Amino acid sequence: MGYNDGIIKWTKIATILFIAMAVVADIFGVVITQYIAYCWAGVFDTFRVVALIVMFYLGTVGGYVVLFSLLKLLSNMSKDVVFDRTNTKLMMIITSALVAIAVDCIGAGFIWNGAWILSIVALFMGLVVMSVRAVFAKAITMKEEMDLTI
Amino acid sequence: MIIVNLDVMMAKRKISSGELAAKVGITQANLSILKNQKAKAVRFSTLNDICKALDCQPGDILEFRED
Repeated sequence: MGYNDGIIKWTKIATILFIAMAVVADIFGVVITQYIAYCWAGVFDTFRVVALIVMFYLGTVGGYVVLFSLLKLLSNMSKDVVFDRTNTKLMMIITSALVAIAVDCIGAGFIWNGAWILSIVALFMGLVVMSVRAVFAKAITMKEEMDLTI
Repeated sequence: MIIVNLDVMMAKRKISSGELAAKVGITQANLSILKNQKAKAVRFSTLNDICKALDCQPGDILEFRED
């Protein structure tokens, strides 16, 4: 039990660090996006730079949804609420957010090609979370059946 | 579907839920699940203990009915 709690604690800390990184990325969002546009993408017209900035911020919104859902999921785990429908719902939210990020990155890919790689990574992560969700859903059904076996 | 006629047998033997639960070694909540047809499965060991406590056959408490 203590071992598992340790894993949850460190994962929570890592999630909080990622949230902090997202906050820093948001604060310096305009600078970061301009750097990407000018130095990496070689884009200089205002319309496309602004579009990249908007897509960057939309992407971080998705990132916050994923990270806070993950934090909620981890708090549920530490409260011993593991095989519960709320967790599968959270995983569904995470997958949807990841797909939304992927779509956002596909859009950004037309301005800076590198964003397409991010979209593939987001879709892959979505696939992993969806598979874990399927396992959880199956486990919940089995648990319910076990609970009703007298 | 399978119907659990535990109520009928309990009435015949004049035994209360609490008493039966204690004799069988299951909680009252689980006995109530069994009585209310909410159970998905019954372990052979539980069935054995219920039959022993009520002095009956499994057929006396379980019944098959067409859906």
